[in-house]
Amino acid sequence: MANIHLKTALDYIKRSPFQALAATFVLSLTFFVATLVSILVYSSSQLLSYFETRPQVIAFLKDNATESQIAELSGRLSSDTRIKEVKYVSKEEALAIYKKATSDNPLLGELVSPTIFPASLEFSVNDLTFAQGIIDEVKNETVVDSVGFTAALGGEESLQDVVGRLRTITTYVRFGGGIFTGILALASFMILLIIISMRIAMRREEVEILNLIGATRKFIRSPIILETLIYSTVGVMIGWTIAFIMVLYSAPGLLSYFGDVPVLPRDTLSLLIIFGVVLGVEFVFGIILSLSGSLLAISRVRRAR
Amino acid sequence: MVKFKDVTKKFGNVVALEKVSFEVEKGEFVFITGPSGAGKTTILKLILGEILPDGGGVSVNGVSVGDLSASEIPFYRQGIGTVFQDFKVLPERTVRENVEVALAVIGLSQDEWDGRVKHVLKLVGLEKQIDLFPRQLSGGELQRTSLARALVVNPKILLADEPTGNLDWETSDSIMQIFEKIHKEGKTVIMATHNEEIIKKYKKRVIHLVGGRMNNGKHSS
Repeated sequence: MANIHLKTALDYIKRSPFQALAATFVLSLTFFVATLVSILVYSSSQLLSYFETRPQVIAFLKDNATESQIAELSGRLSSDTRIKEVKYVSKEEALAIYKKATSDNPLLGELVSPTIFPASLEFSVNDLTFAQGIIDEVKNETVVDSVGFTAALGGEESLQDVVGRLRTITTYVRFGGGIFTGILALASFMILLIIISMRIAMRREEVEILNLIGATRKFIRSPIILETLIYSTVGVMIGWTIAFIMVLYSAPGLLSYFGDVPVLPRDTLSLLIIFGVVLGVEFVFGIILSLSGSLLAISRVRRAR
Repeated sequence: MVKFKDVTKKFGNVVALEKVSFEVEKGEFVFITGPSGAGKTTILKLILGEILPDGGGVSVNGVSVGDLSASEIPFYRQGIGTVFQDFKVLPERTVRENVEVALAVIGLSQDEWDGRVKHVLKLVGLEKQIDLFPRQLSGGELQRTSLARALVVNPKILLADEPTGNLDWETSDSIMQIFEKIHKEGKTVIMATHNEEIIKKYKKRVIHLVGGRMNNGKHSS
């Protein structure tokens, strides 16, 4: 049974190739942009998450802090759900870090002894909004001498600025991408609606004959719905494939440019999983788009009669 | 099998049928005749459930057509074969596909299509034209295609609305012979026609309509 509907749908596509091309083109464009926006949203989220959760807070310990006091504070910090990756850095390790940082000038390293570096507890926060509260709490600890942010981004304020800006950009990407994709989806929907309405008008005589010989509504609608499903499936496949190839092609350059920042997964499997999820969601969206477009067109034509 | 009881149908102020009553028995061949506008096609449309009566009732095999819901109508029509004056074949489909579509509509398994299609095309004499498109067929062949599509679903009733209206006498006669053959196989045939020569040659019961009313004097022949 499906064969006759599929054959009818394919016949109608063949009979009006330019309408079919228009529908496929606009759907491909929609799903191409949707795929890129999805990846952009993923990358910006990763970027934001990276800066929000990288090691940030260093609690410098007093020289007289005992091992048990340090262990007790470390344990409390580790059990705090706002905090992750608590790491104890001893005086010796601090010296080693300093020597490594000044390796291009070994004399600087030789001039210092471990005793001048304080031991510290380093940790990151799960969300930057927790940072100030945690810092204030840790500052009040008896074994803590002072608290600071890692200097990688230039200190506490600049890190918050960067994260703030990233948040704004991420929001823009999400909303802007969503709105742009939405406009394209609406254009696709309208084009599908127009093409299917034209199809139904062209098929008026055929529908009348089918009605007279006892065809059910489902029988009459099936080729129309199948036709839109073909458009959306082909549109998803073309749009997604082009976007996938583009991202695959540019991934090495992007990863190298962003360095440690995981804007894209480094292993192929994870990348494939992300694209697989996007493909699945686009297929579902394509089915919804084509079903709603064709059913609305059918109901409009029925009302017009 | 088919029962009209005091059926009245109006289109606006125009009375198409007025208190028409008749019965057609199973296996009967009946002509509905009368001049243009007499109500012949209206009777067929009422049987097919295309329109509903304004008064009275139409029942087919004990089922009141007016009581059928919109979703029941297609299944009801699947038991009725219909042949039209203007053939109503699908222009973009071959003869085979035009007949197959009726089988697809009733949901018959595709394995059975080929045998049924060939059998019915042989019955109407269109075996050689099986893969031709309607534009490649003559009027008579188009009517045979329409007839084959109506017959392939093995309907209980065959309705024909002026099936020879667009055909010359020879072709009309050959089409009528097929109807006669089908009737002899036990099918109920209700044919609307104003072709007096056919009515005279094929002596069947005649329901004569004039201005939407039955002319009792010419009720049967």
